[in-house]
Parts: sequence; structure tokens; C-alpha cells
Amino acid sequence: MPDSKKNPGFAGITGDFKVTEAEIRGTEYVGVRAVDGGHASVSGTLPFQVASRGASDQPLFEGAHGERLEKILSRYEDPQGALLPALHLAHEIRGHLSPEAMDAVAERLGLSPAYVRGVASFYTMYNLQPLGRYLIQVCTNISCNLCGGDEVMRAFLKHTGIEPGEVSEDGLWTVIEVECLAACGFPTAVQINERYFENVRPEDVPAILDRLRKEAPEMGAPAAPTGSES
Amino acid sequence: MAPHNAQNDTVTCTIDGLEVTVPAGTRLIEAAARVGIEVPHYCYHPGLSAPAQCRMCLVEMEGAPKLLPACTAQAGDGNVIHTHSEKSLKAREGVLEFLLLNHPLDCPVCDQSGECGLQDYVAEEGRKMGRFVEPKRILGRDDFGGDVLYYGDRCIMCTRCVRFMREVAQDERLTVVQRGHRAVIDTFFDEGLEGSLWAGNVVDVCPVGSLVSKDFLHKARAWDLDRSPSVCPNCSQGCNISIQTFNNQVTRLKPRPNMEVNSHWMCDYGRHNYQWMNRGNRIEAPMVRRDGKLVAVSWSEAMRTLADTLGKGSHAVRAVVSPFLSNEDMGALRRVMETMGGGDGVYRVETGEEAELPGFPTLKLRRDRAANGVGAELFGYRRAGGDDGTGGLDDLAGHDDVLFVAGDEIQDAPTTFGEKAAVFVYLGHALSDATRNADVVLPATSFAEMEGTFTNYERRIQRFLPALQGPGMSRPIWQILGVLLAGISEKAAPATIDDAFDALAEVRDDFGALSFRTIAPRGTVLPGFPALSEAAGR
Amino acid sequence: MAYPFVHPDETRVLSKHFGEPEARTLAGWEARGGYQALRKAVEMGPAEIVSEVKDSGLRGRGGAGFPTGVKWSFMPQASGKPHYLLCNADESEPGTFKDRELIRWTPHQLIEGCLIGARAINVQHVYIYNRGEFFETTQILARAIEEAYEAGYIGKDILGSGVDIDITLHMGAGAYICGEETGLMNSLEGRRGEPRLKPPFPAAVGAFGRPTTINNVETLCAVPHIVTHGGEWYRQWGTEKSPGTKLFCVSGHVRKPGNYEVPLGFNFREFIYEMCGGPPEGRALKAVIPGGSSVPILRPEEIDIGMDYEAMAAAGTMLGCGSVIVMDETTDIVKQVRRMSDFYTHESCGQCTPCREGTAWASRILKRIEDGWGSEEDLDTLLELSENMAGKTICTFSDAAAAPIVSSVQKFRDDYLALIRRGENLAASA
Repeated sequence: MPDSKKNPGFAGITGDFKVTEAEIRGTEYVGVRAVDGGHASVSGTLPFQVASRGASDQPLFEGAHGERLEKILSRYEDPQGALLPALHLAHEIRGHLSPEAMDAVAERLGLSPAYVRGVASFYTMYNLQPLGRYLIQVCTNISCNLCGGDEVMRAFLKHTGIEPGEVSEDGLWTVIEVECLAACGFPTAVQINERYFENVRPEDVPAILDRLRKEAPEMGAPAAPTGSES
Repeated sequence: MAPHNAQNDTVTCTIDGLEVTVPAGTRLIEAAARVGIEVPHYCYHPGLSAPAQCRMCLVEMEGAPKLLPACTAQAGDGNVIHTHSEKSLKAREGVLEFLLLNHPLDCPVCDQSGECGLQDYVAEEGRKMGRFVEPKRILGRDDFGGDVLYYGDRCIMCTRCVRFMREVAQDERLTVVQRGHRAVIDTFFDEGLEGSLWAGNVVDVCPVGSLVSKDFLHKARAWDLDRSPSVCPNCSQGCNISIQTFNNQVTRLKPRPNMEVNSHWMCDYGRHNYQWMNRGNRIEAPMVRRDGKLVAVSWSEAMRTLADTLGKGSHAVRAVVSPFLSNEDMGALRRVMETMGGGDGVYRVETGEEAELPGFPTLKLRRDRAANGVGAELFGYRRAGGDDGTGGLDDLAGHDDVLFVAGDEIQDAPTTFGEKAAVFVYLGHALSDATRNADVVLPATSFAEMEGTFTNYERRIQRFLPALQGPGMSRPIWQILGVLLAGISEKAAPATIDDAFDALAEVRDDFGALSFRTIAPRGTVLPGFPALSEAAGR
Repeated sequence: MAYPFVHPDETRVLSKHFGEPEARTLAGWEARGGYQALRKAVEMGPAEIVSEVKDSGLRGRGGAGFPTGVKWSFMPQASGKPHYLLCNADESEPGTFKDRELIRWTPHQLIEGCLIGARAINVQHVYIYNRGEFFETTQILARAIEEAYEAGYIGKDILGSGVDIDITLHMGAGAYICGEETGLMNSLEGRRGEPRLKPPFPAAVGAFGRPTTINNVETLCAVPHIVTHGGEWYRQWGTEKSPGTKLFCVSGHVRKPGNYEVPLGFNFREFIYEMCGGPPEGRALKAVIPGGSSVPILRPEEIDIGMDYEAMAAAGTMLGCGSVIVMDETTDIVKQVRRMSDFYTHESCGQCTPCREGTAWASRILKRIEDGWGSEEDLDTLLELSENMAGKTICTFSDAAAAPIVSSVQKFRDDYLALIRRGENLAASA
């Protein structure tokens, strides 16, 4: 392990650094993002995607979400260009991409459902099955691996008591390995839903899980997404 | 570099030492084909876009730093190409080894065996032994719906099938799911290929045994099949096909490329409508009515009896022909009718919804679900009956002079049909209640059992060759009626199909410009009628 | 990042404001001289910007190192149809974490770079293709874009100049190959992110079939500085052929990992040992990957070279995107190469046969060797299959996948042999 100071990217341990976790994450700067996506230029971005996992069975692309899709569509000369953002949006509403959601996206954009499935399955971030409330993605690629990524992965599995890709019994956890998260200087990098946790060591794992458990709402009720009003 | 051609529309390059001049923009794989060199390929298909992803057709161009995919690289003036140089052979050997890593080598139970691109190229250019010792990936098989079955393990991910559905059928029901070595071809979950009229073509374009036909599954080995060039009889489009038979049974129909008619494709309606060619209850011998009963006789006796009965006088002749008869058959009957003083002939044809292939819009499943309705019109038969190919026989049923029924089984006719006829001649395949009233029954061959021509919707005359042996003593109708004509007139009987075709000019002048042997491989449009496909600006 | 460690010998141009939360706000950025370059650029006009960037010798920071000004000059003049500038923020090369830090701390720097780039090549619409996993940094950039729209830096009639430029933030969805420029274009168009055949090149037929230029985040971030100070100014750093400064991402077995901005041509040994503190606990260096996992590995005796495109090429490797992965003597090279190979297996798009099958095969052979079931013939097979992959596919992914395998088998053959022998001995004794 490098004898370095902890990066405040890992929540709570800001060590000797002047900046706080909120400053690093930019949560104060970003503020509360509107469900309708804000300005059209950035409406394709998804602040709540993973946070609202499994939250809703409301119709896709209606109300504020519908407005967001309209804004997204206005930014591409070919509606097909909006496919990835539209899938993200469906994913955000549903928590995963079901065949029904892909079908709805296909219909909305005038594409064939099979085509949409082909595209959706190409990308790793579209989860085609429901997952745990927290998707824990541990980087075990080279830089993190050199600094013990495999052990961190094992620690997460041990403390959640599940196998990679499974959903824990309480519906809270899914742990998977992920390819390089572009935080190689702060190994091991772990992405949990939309948040990065950096410099994670195996011994930090219980504290992280505790913190998440506390943040987690009553099971079944949707959580307030980080940095948003819901 | 060689100097540029004076005109910029052609380029001259050298491929494996052979100089070839091709239109500018010609791809290397096609330029090579012009001088008889096959560049091995999988993802390239002449009827589809070329993604250059199988990496099989890599060839060496002098001066180029890397090998080039011959399926997309265009021939340039002065290019010197080596398709079988050490470097390109090595690259292809590598690709073949990669393709075989997870390929199950289940050739003994694979329908594609014997006509498999992987088998062929591995035999030609592959390594003697593979080096892969790990367990193979197992995906199993998937029912794509319709007639199509997918064996994931055999798939080499050339994506021809996906591109066919996207570009030609324009009904994007197939896709690559997942990525990398986990990629497979799939449909949208349970929504398969069911209901697609063109899905059968994905089996044809599959270069390996990954997509196979359920109808053909384990029916025959490719090397046991006899293949005869023919024309699809199931609608008036006239798709060029190969009739593939085993033990004198049709096992499948496959499209043959004809860029002027069907490109590389055919519809599933035509493809799967072949069982009737194999029917068993055929008439095998000529029969004449003696003492109220039909009695089998020899051909010479049957023809003598018929000629004597008809005599040389004139008659009021009525006829029914099937739109599945060849031009020669229909023309021969028309000549007989003319000789006897003329008469009225009808044909009946079943019709259905027209369906277009969007990526090649001149190919349609046509309304007329029979090959030669246009031929029937040309030879003076008029359409009768309804859209289901029945009816329209009321005024013939009680005809009291000579009555010919050729090919049409008239299943729907009343049992009293032809009872009042002075002479009722039936030429066909099987007896129905109505045709049992015939005075003379003559066993005819189907189109699959004879040589001949059809006239398609745009009056294109296309030849077909025999694929099956006719049952028993059956003969082509043109031959039977030619002999009859010799018996009732001074005309010579046609000895060959060439004679039969030449005789058509007696009925229609415009056939005079043609002869059976000079009909082009792609068919010849009857002079005076521009091909509709050309008229449409294609 | 220069943050959290800042070394006095760094030359902080792009990374100057890392670690300053105020710098990411519009007011904070303007207070630091932000958007002055844009004001200058709208007055300069396209040709002058391109020529200034050409003079600076700025080379693409995404890995290939193609001169940016030259790339821009390939774009056709205004043709009446839309042209596009794509900013490649799909940072996913293992070992690379500079773009995320640039966006996280200085989003307006990137926006300014995008606007000037768009101005230089007459583009009215810029897409920033952000890596899908970057939820947090994407939101920071999104906020910054909204601020810049409000302030009139983006949109219609920028700064009263009559120039219209839009920026759209587009999120990827998890695919390394979308960092390849044509894969990125396909992904932007809502397709599978499979790279396209070239030709046609993006400057002729790019995104949505329009003339398109793609630049890396770091490249575009350098542009405002060049416009402000001039091309000559930028040449004060670096070498003749590799001018300027560059962010180097250091990870692995070093005492002070992070981003360091130094002039190109900086001595590599000094960089690893002095600036980054060398391997921890005084351990010996075993291997260094200088440019991200896709470039050949260097042995410790090979690192007395300059950190620039030419010197790295002369040493048989590549500068790539400047991602230095340091491995000390405790490293199991075979395991790490296997892990990289697994990565390439996972990320291969699967179009081309050699890459789709070759990456998976290599992974399995390496795993077998790692587990002690390998043989010397396996090493020959690895080399040959790598040769059958590299250079035989549509894009250069297969070359990248082959590089760590080939270089490690050649340079660390003993490590492989030790595992093979151990396995043989175990088998013999069993």
C-alpha cells in the first residue's frame, strides 16, 4: 500500500486536507437538480439514475420525465442519437431495463425492439435484471489490483455475505467487479450507485456498509437521491 | 504507379499476376472474382453491406503497410494485389484458428456440413491442428421462430443474418446481443422471426451451420442432394431457384442469384411450398374409357384412340389450363385448339396479398400464386373463377363437344362436369371426381419433372430444368399434344423442347425472335415489352 | 492530480486550480482569468486560432499524439451542413484518471476549450461524450454548462459576436471501446459502440454522417491557454516535436500516486523516483507501464528516457495518454497481465474475429499459466496469437490487447517460466 494520505473522496476521512467531502463531490455547487433535467444541453445526464433504483412503476416518459426526453431529443439531429440517454432515463425510472422498458424506448424513438436490445446489451451500465438497492462496483483492474483490489472485493463479498452479481436477501446489496473507474491514483476505487469511494482498504468496508445501511430508507420506499429533493 | 487511365471510370490493377480492368469503385474481392480468384470471406455477401469484420478476406497490396480487407478496399489504378501471399495466408490461417476455438466441430450432425464456409476454408488454408486446449464455450440452440433454428456454438458472428433483416427485409428482428466473445445473435426476447415472409433467407446467408431450417433439419446431407436450376412456381415473380432433391424427392428450394429478378433472395411462401411436387397419388399410365370404365393402355394406343376419335374435322373446343403449366404446354394446347377450328380456353389462379421485399422492391410475393398466369394470357387463355382459384367453370361443365383439361385438377367442379362432352381429355397429375369423367386421361409431368419456360409478371421468359423423374409413363404436355397434333394434322411432332419452343411462334409472332437455347441466363424479356424493373429506373 | 500532492517541480498550467472548489464556479473561474481566451478567440476568427494551435505544436492527449492544429485543418470549410466537435471524455484506459480530475475541478476550462475549438473549425454544436460512470463529475460539468449558458458564453450570439455554439453533454453507458473515436461516434448516434472502418475519416464522414473532429479533454483544456498566450509561449516547455506540458497519471506501487503536470520530455526515472517518491518502503522497481495498459511494458533499466512521444517510441513503447503504472518487486507480472487481458476480453466489441476470439483465448491461456498448468509452448502460442491479432482488425484495440502480453512474455519470460516450472514440479510430486 502506498504510504499516502487518504483522499477525501472516501467519505468522512478528510484527513489533513482542507477540502471537505461535499466540496470534492461538488454537491453544494451542483445543488438540487430538477427531475425534468434542467437545461436541455445537460438533460441527458442522470443524477438520480442508480439512486432511485427500483423506485417506480409509473409510466415511462410522462410528466417531468417526458419533458426531459423531449429536451434530450431536441439535441440530436437523428432521434436515434437519443437512444443512450433514453435508455438511461428508463433505467432511472425503473431501476433496471426490462424488456417492457426497451420496447417502450424503441417505440418512442421509432426503432426496432431487437435493435434496442442489441444496443442496451452492448453497454455494461444498463442492468437488465433488478439489482440490490446498492450496486457496489469494485475496481480490480491493474492499478487497483496492484494495491489490493482483489482483497477489497473479497471484503465486500464477505461483509455482505453474497456472491458476485447476486442480490442480498435484504435487497440491499449487489457486488460486482468493474473495469477501471478512472480513479487509479486512489486505489482501491469503488463505485456505489452514483458515488465514488476512493482509497478503500479492506478494513474500511464495514464502515462503508454501515453508513450506507443508515442512509438506506425503509425497504420498499424509494430513497431520496443524493443531492436531490427526490 | 501506372499512369491513370484516360477515362476515370475504369481502373486497372494486377491481382495475383493477372491484370484486370474494372469500373472505378469496384471492391477488390469483386475484381478478383473477375479473374477467377476467390478471396475467402465470411461477412461479405454480395447482396449486403460489407462491415469487414470477419477479417478473412485480408489481402496484401504492395506498398500498403497493413493487409487490406478485400471486401471494402477498392481497386485502384496500378495496385498490385496478392491474395495468397505468405502474409495474407498467415493472417487467414490465424482467423480460421480463432474461429475454430469455440466451434463445436459437430460436422457429422450439422446440416451445413458439405456446403460450409468454415469447413471449406479450413480444409484449404487452415492449420492442421488447433492449439486450443481449454473447454469450449457452450451456448446451445435457440428457436428463433418461423422456420429458423439458431445454434449459437457454431456461429462465427459474421452478422450476415442481422444485416439481411436490417438492410433487405428492413424488419430488424435480429441483433447482436452482448459484446466481445460473449456476443450472440438473438431476437427481441420472445418475439422471434415468426410471421416474417423473408426470414428463410437468413438460413441461406449463414455461411456456417448456425442458422438452419427446421423444415430441412437432418433430412439429408448436402453432398447427397441433386441440385437443378429452376424457377419458383409459386407466384408470378419467377424467382430463380435451385430445386434440391434426394432420392427423387424435393427436400428444399434455395434461391439462385438473378440480379434482374430476385437478387439473392426468395420469400418463405415460395420456399416452403414444395410438398406438392412430391405427391404420391399420381397417374402413371394413359387411360381411355372402354365400356364406361377407364382402362390403362399404352401411349401409342392412347394417342391413336384420341386422334381417331377427334378426327381431322373441326370442333367446338373448350379448355381449362393450369397456370402452373409451361409456355410450351400452353402453346401446344393452343395449337391443337387452333387446328381443330379454335375455341375458348380459361385458366384459374389463386391470388393473395402482395408483399414487397423493401431492400429489393422489384421482388414481391405477387398476387398471382402461380408461375405462369401471364403465359396463359399470352397464349390466349382468359382468367376465370375467383380469387381462391376456383369456380368459373359453369359454362364449360355442360359443353357438348371437345373438352380439354390440362394440369388443373378442377377439384371444385361438379361431379357431372364434362359428362355431356363429345370428347373429354384430361392431361394432369391426379384424378378428381370431375376428371374421372374424362374419356381419355393422359399422365403429365409437373414443371419439376421437365424442361421448359415460364413467363413471369414482367413477361420475362425463364428456363427451368428437370429436377425429378416423372412418375411411371408421364410425359410433358407439350410432347403429348405435339404427338396428337401430328395425328390430327400434317404438322410434325416436336422431338425436343427446342422444337416445342420454336413452335410457340406459330401462336405468337413475338416468340419468333427467341429460341430456347438463346434465352439469357437471367431470362429474356419478351421483345416489345420493356422489363418492368428497367422501366422503373432500376 | 496535482492534488492531493503538489510537487514544487511541477509546471501547473492545466492543473493549476485543482483542489480549489471555488474554481469550478463561473464566478470563481472568471476571477481566475476564465473566458478571456474565448473573448479573444471570437475576435481572432477560425483561421487564426488554427494557425496559433498549429504553431504551439499541441498534440492530441488521448493517446495517438496527432497534432491538433493539423487535425483541425482537415475539417472542410463551412459546407452548409452541420459540423460537429466531439470532446472525448470517455476516459477508461486503465491507469488514466486525468480527464475526470480536469472536469471535476475545472469544468469551465473544458467548456472554454470546447467553445474555442468549435470556433476554430466552424462548428455549431459540440458534444461532450462523458463516461457514463462519472455521475458526480458529469453533474459538476452539467452545472457549469448551465452557468455558461446563462452567462451567454454558450448558445446564440456568443458574447455578441454573432457566433452560435451549442454544447450537449452526452453520457456513455459503460464501454471502453467508445473511447475509440469512431466507436464514440457510433455510440453517440445510438448504436452499438463498434468502431467504424476508415476511410472514410471523421473529418469527411463523422457523427450523423457529418464532418466531425474528436479531441480529448486534456487537449481542449490546453487550447484556452494557447489562445491567451500564443503558440510560442506553449513551446517554452517540452521538446521540439512534443511541446508543452502534460498531465501524467501515476498509479500502482508509488509513494505518492496522483496527477502530475510536467513538461514533455521530463526524465522518466526522475519523475518516478523524485516526484512520485518511487516504490514504497524502499522496494525495488520491477516494471513500469508508461502510457496506460495498452502500451508495452518497460523494465527498470529502460526508464532513463524522456517522457515524450519520440523518446517513448524509440524505447519500443508509447507515451499513450500518460498513465504511468508502477510495479515493484512484489508484483506478480503474470497475474497483472492476465488481469489486463481479462479487461480486454471484457471490453472487446466483438466485431472482428481476431480480437473477439484472440482476447478471450489469451486470457484463458494466461489464467492457466497463473494456476500452474502452463507449458513453454503456451508462451509461443501467446506470441503467435498476439501477432495474429495485432494490426489485423478494424481499430487498434487488438494491438492494445496484444501489447502487454507480447512485451511481458519477452521481457519477463522468467516470471512465466517460474510459474510453469512450479506447476510441473507440483504435478511431478503428486
